[in-house]
Amino acid sequence: MEIKKETLIEFYTTMLKIRLFEERVIALYARGLIPGLAHLYIGEEAVAAGVCAVLRENDYITSTHRGHGHVIAKGADLKPMMAELFGKKTGYCKGKGGSMHIADMEIGILGANGIAGGGIPIAVGAGMSAKWRGTDQVTVCFFGDDASNNGTFHEGLNLASLYRLPVIFVCENNRYGISVGQEKQRLIQDIAIRATSYDMPGVVVNGNDVLEVYEASLKAVKRGWAGEGPTLIECKTYRWRGHHEGDPNQGRRYRTTEEIESWKEGDPIKRMARKLIEDKILTKKKMDDLKNEILEEIEQAVAFANESEFPTIEEMYEDVYI
Amino acid sequence: MATEVVVPMLGITVEKGTIVEWLKSEGDLVEKGEIIFIVETEKVTTEVESPASGILAKIIVPVGVEVPVLTLAAVITEPGEELPAEYATRAIEGPPGKAKVKTQGEQAPVSTTPPQTPATPTGSIEAVPAARKLAQEKGIDLKTVSGTGPGGIIVIHDVEAALKPRVEPAVKVSTLARKLAEKEGIPLEGIEGTGIRGRIMQDDLRRAAEEKAAHGLGKVVQMNSMRKVIARRMAESAVNAPHIYFFTDVWMEPILDFRQDILPDFEKKFGLRPSVNDFLIKAVALNILDFPILNATLKGEEIHILPEVNICLAVALPEGLMVPAIANADKVGLAGIIQQRKDLVQRARSGKLSMDELERGTFTISSLTQYDITYFTAILNPPQSGILTVGKTRDELAMVDGEVEVKKVSTFGLSVDHRIIDGAVAADFLQNLKWKLERPSFTFLTV
Amino acid sequence: MREITYAQAINEALRQCMKEDERVVLLGEDIGVYGGIFQVTAGLLDEFGKERVIDTPIAEAGFVGACVGAALTGMRPVVEIMFIDFTTVCMDMIINQMAKMHYMFGGQGKVPVVLRVNIGAGRGAAAQHSQSFHALFMHIPGLYVVAPSTPYDAKGLMIEAIKNDNPVIFVEHKKLYVEKGDVPAEGYTIPFGKAEIKREGSDLTIVATHAMVMRSLRAAEEAAKEGIDVEVVDPRTLTPFDKVTILKSVKKTGRLLVADEGHKTCGVAAEISAMVAEEGIFDLKAPVVRVCSPDTPVPFSPPLEQAYIPDVKDLLPALKRLMEYA
Repeated sequence: MEIKKETLIEFYTTMLKIRLFEERVIALYARGLIPGLAHLYIGEEAVAAGVCAVLRENDYITSTHRGHGHVIAKGADLKPMMAELFGKKTGYCKGKGGSMHIADMEIGILGANGIAGGGIPIAVGAGMSAKWRGTDQVTVCFFGDDASNNGTFHEGLNLASLYRLPVIFVCENNRYGISVGQEKQRLIQDIAIRATSYDMPGVVVNGNDVLEVYEASLKAVKRGWAGEGPTLIECKTYRWRGHHEGDPNQGRRYRTTEEIESWKEGDPIKRMARKLIEDKILTKKKMDDLKNEILEEIEQAVAFANESEFPTIEEMYEDVYI
Repeated sequence: MATEVVVPMLGITVEKGTIVEWLKSEGDLVEKGEIIFIVETEKVTTEVESPASGILAKIIVPVGVEVPVLTLAAVITEPGEELPAEYATRAIEGPPGKAKVKTQGEQAPVSTTPPQTPATPTGSIEAVPAARKLAQEKGIDLKTVSGTGPGGIIVIHDVEAALKPRVEPAVKVSTLARKLAEKEGIPLEGIEGTGIRGRIMQDDLRRAAEEKAAHGLGKVVQMNSMRKVIARRMAESAVNAPHIYFFTDVWMEPILDFRQDILPDFEKKFGLRPSVNDFLIKAVALNILDFPILNATLKGEEIHILPEVNICLAVALPEGLMVPAIANADKVGLAGIIQQRKDLVQRARSGKLSMDELERGTFTISSLTQYDITYFTAILNPPQSGILTVGKTRDELAMVDGEVEVKKVSTFGLSVDHRIIDGAVAADFLQNLKWKLERPSFTFLTV
Repeated sequence: MREITYAQAINEALRQCMKEDERVVLLGEDIGVYGGIFQVTAGLLDEFGKERVIDTPIAEAGFVGACVGAALTGMRPVVEIMFIDFTTVCMDMIINQMAKMHYMFGGQGKVPVVLRVNIGAGRGAAAQHSQSFHALFMHIPGLYVVAPSTPYDAKGLMIEAIKNDNPVIFVEHKKLYVEKGDVPAEGYTIPFGKAEIKREGSDLTIVATHAMVMRSLRAAEEAAKEGIDVEVVDPRTLTPFDKVTILKSVKKTGRLLVADEGHKTCGVAAEISAMVAEEGIFDLKAPVVRVCSPDTPVPFSPPLEQAYIPDVKDLLPALKRLMEYA
């Protein structure tokens, strides 16, 4: 498939932004500036970058507790994002949501969800809404492999196919829930085969290959536009760090170092970097500049977050009702 | 297991009672069946037995507080058992300064001086929030308010009632005088104090007591249970039953002679001396058999002619009137009547009548022959419909066959409930009674 | 004015709103062809078509969650859960998603969903189809909870619920569906947070919900024969709750009885009692009494079920006990 250079650069930029942002979060979290929980996307960047590249601003996504990648890929502004992680009133959610509930309705981010599989019926609803309103908006629903064992997955996929909804179900199969590995979750190897239960296409893609992800996503989107219904895309991927910051030794309670290292070798960012250099799309210098630009943007976001105020106690009582 | 001790049911119409004496104290060992307290009601004073053996762990209703029947009065625990938490805070405040005082007889008037240590063991006063607030606003001490709510709790009505009489300012009393007043049961009200700033001193109390003894004026007498009941019942009767009155003079010599005649033989046989009253009771009972409507009671729109003839004899006591009834006066022999009469009067004087003895009466005889009273009217004893009054026997001049003779005569009165007994019937009854009494040999033929 | 049933009143509200606003859509099990298990949505499929009246599969988490997503993205869905008992299978969608989105997204997005459920025992439907745990929803900030007791209130509150931008749990009552009442033909709204005094009185206040309103009115008639003058207050909405009217009534009478068909423990009645104990204690001339369902699951056997349901047989003795506090 022929992909424009700009698109490739965009992939790279997005993935790098996610990576650098998450790496910055590690340090901030360790120093206590980011309270609560942090579930980092490091290693899975290609999935978010590849899928979101097919979406327009007014298309919808529902995200998960591990949503920083999705949200950045969809186009979120790093400043209010970082401020939200810090719990400041200038955050996307006025400091009242935190990492797991980042939302930006204006660019179609219908919220990250702290409940495994919680976003699936909501994505279905967004799909129904588009049909009711007669628009061609599509909805991408991100969820993990263990979420596909939950009731909402089955109810959601059934409804989506029954009503032929323009919803793309993207399962980020990183092989683990928290510590429960896939062999303890289910007998089937590929989650994609569940699609047949719901009479929709199910494809398995290499989650470390942003181009493969992109291609599958594009196909699914076109299906959606054509009114042919939903698609299930299973991205085989891996999170390099533990389930959450604080998961001892990057998840070595339940994962082996060999496994982690072997996945790190498939680093999607390095892959794309190589391609860009090889295909002479970007020079090393350009890539360094790009990196510095991103680092600069991130630092500004951190500064913004640091300088911002916490919400007042009175604000706790706001927005419960309209 | 803890056993609850309640103020027991004391007769179907009795709703409240006051414990007048605790025979046991908190912490004492009690036996099942042992008398542990005495309760006074409208009609009667009763001993109450312990329902279980054990330790009298907590007294909740103290002496002197009127409570509804079935109020929890005390808790008995097994030896070694701890008092369950739910009872620990239960308490009903007693009136101030009244430990084990027998309230039969006059009570000292309620004093508005600040109360002494209350008789109850512990003291949170039970009052509903609105009552508490009102009391606080109006400066009423809840300890001076008696509660009429469930379990004796002070309800808003009680505080509102307490608001009506003006609360007098506290009277200044010297410590010694106060102690004396308590000891002697001398009320502080109305005593002029000659101490500093009008303080009541011991001498003032002594002087007041002498004066009081002298003329008995200027006192406030608290109505005791009996008085309250009499007042209520008399008012009820007067209002509800339209009374009509009839009088006749009864020539007493026949019955007096008759009595004299049979007295020695009677005494020899029964060991009893009949009084004129006994003959009277019998005569009235026999008369009722001829006029059963006089043995009736009105219930709604039904006139219930009662199956038994139980004649009440009014017994005057210092604290009030008691009216026990002689059962089946028509059927029992004169000896039986005498025995019942003596027994009832004795027990009335010692406050040991039963509810039944007080409630079973169907007709009353009220005799004031010991007073120099010609005749008098009486108010029906509810729910009865007839009452006979007997005045003093007097000498009177009468014309008999053209000759002036002295006759012994007593004026008898009859009051009846005109709702069910008309004048003619009443007159007939009275006339026949007179006839019976003036012909005792015939009347008492089958006695 | 014409009399229609409670069910018909809700039907009329739905119809009128669907006519006015294309964004109003209905979802639920058996609401279309069957017309709803209690016939509340009868005729709506025919009038508005299967695009707007959807007979869903048995997938409550799925379709209630879908309503949340649809509402977030511009629709105004009214979704029916057949019995309140079944909300348990989609509790996450109600409690964690619907109720919280507007708040946790910092005021972004709104979820104008109306979730219709029904409560009440008395039809022999047994333990899993007869519960009245609407208190659970009153406990969750972010949800509005509506409790109509008459056909008039049902229509006005439904129209308001649909127009309101907050998620609303609309709690209907099985035994009230057939009750008739005067209902205006035109559309009207009843504001949330406004209780109504259904009967004025001076001796005692009964705060009652749903079918307990009708039962309290009957108990009040009986009590009047004994000279007891009862005031019956219907909160109409549990969230938002009209404290002011209730406290005013308690101030007037000084005696409070709270009647709700949920369980006694931690129910709606418990909350109302606590609120009065906190804010109106010094107006109380007597303890606060609750008349509720017992703390047991709903039994099947008819005599047991009849005993279970709080009614005049429970209200009268309770209110007489209160009157002992003069």
